[in-house]
Amino acid sequence: MVSVPVQPVIPPGGRRGRLRRPSLGRTALARHEARWGLIFLSPWLIGFVAFTFLPIIASLIFSVTNISLAQDQPLRFVGLENVQRMLADKQTWESLGVTFRFAAFNLPIAIIIPFVVALVLNSRYLRGVGIFRTLFFLPYVIPFVSGVLAWQGMLNLETGWVNEFLRIIGVENPPNWLQDTTLVYPSLAFIGLWGIGAGVIVNLAGLKGIPTELYDAARIDGAGWWAALRNVTLPMMSPVIFYSLILGIVDILQYFLVPLVLFNGTGEPGGSTLFFNLVIYKQAFNFQNFSYGATLAWFLFAITLAITLVVFRTSRRWVYYAGER
Amino acid sequence: MRTRLARASALLASFALLVTACGPSSPATPSGGSVAAGSPSASASATPFTGEPVEIRWYCCLGGGEAPEQKTVEDKVVADFNASHPNIKLTFEVVTYDQANGQLTTEIQSGNGPDIVGPVGIGGANAFHGQWLDLGPYITKTNYDLSGFPSNVVDIYKLDEGQVGIPFAIYPSALFYEKGLFEEAGLSEPPHKYGEKYKMKDGQEVDWTYDVALEVAKQLTVDSNNKDATQAGFDPKKISQWGFEFQRDDLRGLGAYFGPGSLAGADGKTVQIPDAWKAGWKDYYKSIWTNHTSLTGPQFESKDINPSDYPFFTGHVGMSENFLWSTYGLSDLPDWDLAAIPSYNGTATAAFNADTFRILKGSKHPDEAFEVLTYLLGDASSDLLTAYGGFPARTADQAAGIEALQAQFKNTVDWQVAVDGIERADNPNFESFMPAYNESLGLVGSGGKYLTRWGNTPGLDMDKEITSLQAEMQAIWDKQP
Repeated sequence: MVSVPVQPVIPPGGRRGRLRRPSLGRTALARHEARWGLIFLSPWLIGFVAFTFLPIIASLIFSVTNISLAQDQPLRFVGLENVQRMLADKQTWESLGVTFRFAAFNLPIAIIIPFVVALVLNSRYLRGVGIFRTLFFLPYVIPFVSGVLAWQGMLNLETGWVNEFLRIIGVENPPNWLQDTTLVYPSLAFIGLWGIGAGVIVNLAGLKGIPTELYDAARIDGAGWWAALRNVTLPMMSPVIFYSLILGIVDILQYFLVPLVLFNGTGEPGGSTLFFNLVIYKQAFNFQNFSYGATLAWFLFAITLAITLVVFRTSRRWVYYAGER
Repeated sequence: MRTRLARASALLASFALLVTACGPSSPATPSGGSVAAGSPSASASATPFTGEPVEIRWYCCLGGGEAPEQKTVEDKVVADFNASHPNIKLTFEVVTYDQANGQLTTEIQSGNGPDIVGPVGIGGANAFHGQWLDLGPYITKTNYDLSGFPSNVVDIYKLDEGQVGIPFAIYPSALFYEKGLFEEAGLSEPPHKYGEKYKMKDGQEVDWTYDVALEVAKQLTVDSNNKDATQAGFDPKKISQWGFEFQRDDLRGLGAYFGPGSLAGADGKTVQIPDAWKAGWKDYYKSIWTNHTSLTGPQFESKDINPSDYPFFTGHVGMSENFLWSTYGLSDLPDWDLAAIPSYNGTATAAFNADTFRILKGSKHPDEAFEVLTYLLGDASSDLLTAYGGFPARTADQAAGIEALQAQFKNTVDWQVAVDGIERADNPNFESFMPAYNESLGLVGSGGKYLTRWGNTPGLDMDKEITSLQAEMQAIWDKQP
């Protein structure tokens, strides 16, 4: 038997086994590519700096000054005065309460319904999947304001199609969907569901990515539909659900457009739609209190960040990444 | 060479992308294209102007003026002005109504405000309280003649900031009514002259008061079974015709038809609600929910019932209080006319709207801006008034104004009623300044909290509502520095 000398394996980072970063930017070619990359990125970068980064910095500066449109008092540094005002302002806590109440109601719906719809669309028993997929996605491409106005008409107490239908089936006094404090959140959630197309597509992509071998194995082990959903689908979909949850939290804390269009930002009925982001908008742009509006915006950012971090922390316990070791 | 060319192309592409990415997404940009005839050679001036012209920016449209046909006129006015004024280069900026307030706010805050703003109403201008130039010194310096305007209209623009405006377009109020609906109900038409009596069905002649008008309104309110609101079996759920529509753009305006007043007390810090306004608000609420003579909020919002946001345009409303600007949607109604506003406590008050052009305090060229202003109010006023559908504030021009209005309609309208309304204008005007103006409007203004709630919620205790409104507004005012 001929013995073959074994070559020592040299780790890619060198003889000492230390991994090193690829030497991007070191060679002339890499520098050249990086330069051109930056040139092509520059429109976005310049736009980002001018229209996102600088306004963020400006709003931070505004929040510690007394800047307003009228500026009837000299511009000055006010430190945390705006924060004190915010904490003492009843409207801050009321609008936060509104936002959280609606979030508690709407967030599960906004996550579960697209998931369920995607499950149905992913079913092998469903015929015409392409048509359904298009139908679910179609509303998403219609401008949201137009959609909200259409829904306003649909939910009108007197002439809305929903109430017309209820009258046809014998409901004598159909509800005032948008002006009843107990019905307004379900109505808003219903309007929100109209635009679930993107969520359905994301969930569907996730479902399509689950290896069929896992279901085969589960079936061999005797798993039925429910067990397969619990033990295969949900764990494999947990990164998508996590993604939807994070985006859902950010979206819901910034909920704004629908109540602005439907209720003109009044908070009606009975203050139930005075969302925190609406208060920010009104303070900054309607009432022209830029500094106070900026303070509220930073407060919302802090709340959003805190909640997101908590969710990220918990994700280690419930989000499963198949690619992780 | 190839590399250099590629680099240049990439830079150009990047620049193009940047412009595309960062450029405005709406057409709400300065038009600028109307300054073609601004060359000094086009001047009619005796002494040729040889220097660099001063640029004056005219900002529109906080209240109107953005419609394409209006813009054509505005562009022509700018071109004519530039042709005859080589010392000034007038530029015109159109920003659509929904964006105009926000953009002007931003421009002023960034130190890049325009010089002239308008047409703008009293309320629209109050959103920028403290920003307007006192025209007093310029009126004196140029001996500008104000005697051609009704003095009470000139006084509307006299504020703590000074004389912030000169009258241009005015919109007195009147009671719009549908003749055919009165005839159908066997009712006499409302009086056209202030102080005239109204003849009831039984022949009795009575003062034309709100009590009478709202009683008449019941007979004009009809359900789908053709029963009116005074008859047994009338079904308020199936109304097909309403008797009386209040001016519901703003609770202050609604109240002003019952009597002039202001929400700001004498100290300027305390919220007061005039008794006449309280009475008006209660009548409004009662008309919706008890008498059913006015549309409910959902009926008003329904595009099937009220497609143009003004129920009188539908032809299914017997009487409606409104300003003269609301004639714009009446050309399809063959049978309407104007009548006197009913009186409350013995006095009839015709709430008043007025638009004009104003100069911003921050203008770097106030003298030239004033020159432009006087041109808009003078030489250009006829064209602009026609384009805006405005009634001339200048007394001498009002006969021509009536002719221009009448020319738009087939039926003959008694425009004198509106002219008579000028001297019954509310003073103080209902749109007068109040502390925290924009925030306060959130309670009483168009689409405001209380206006919305009262239109949408039956069974409210109006005394409690009014007390709540007062307290809520006071809390807002108390926060002011």
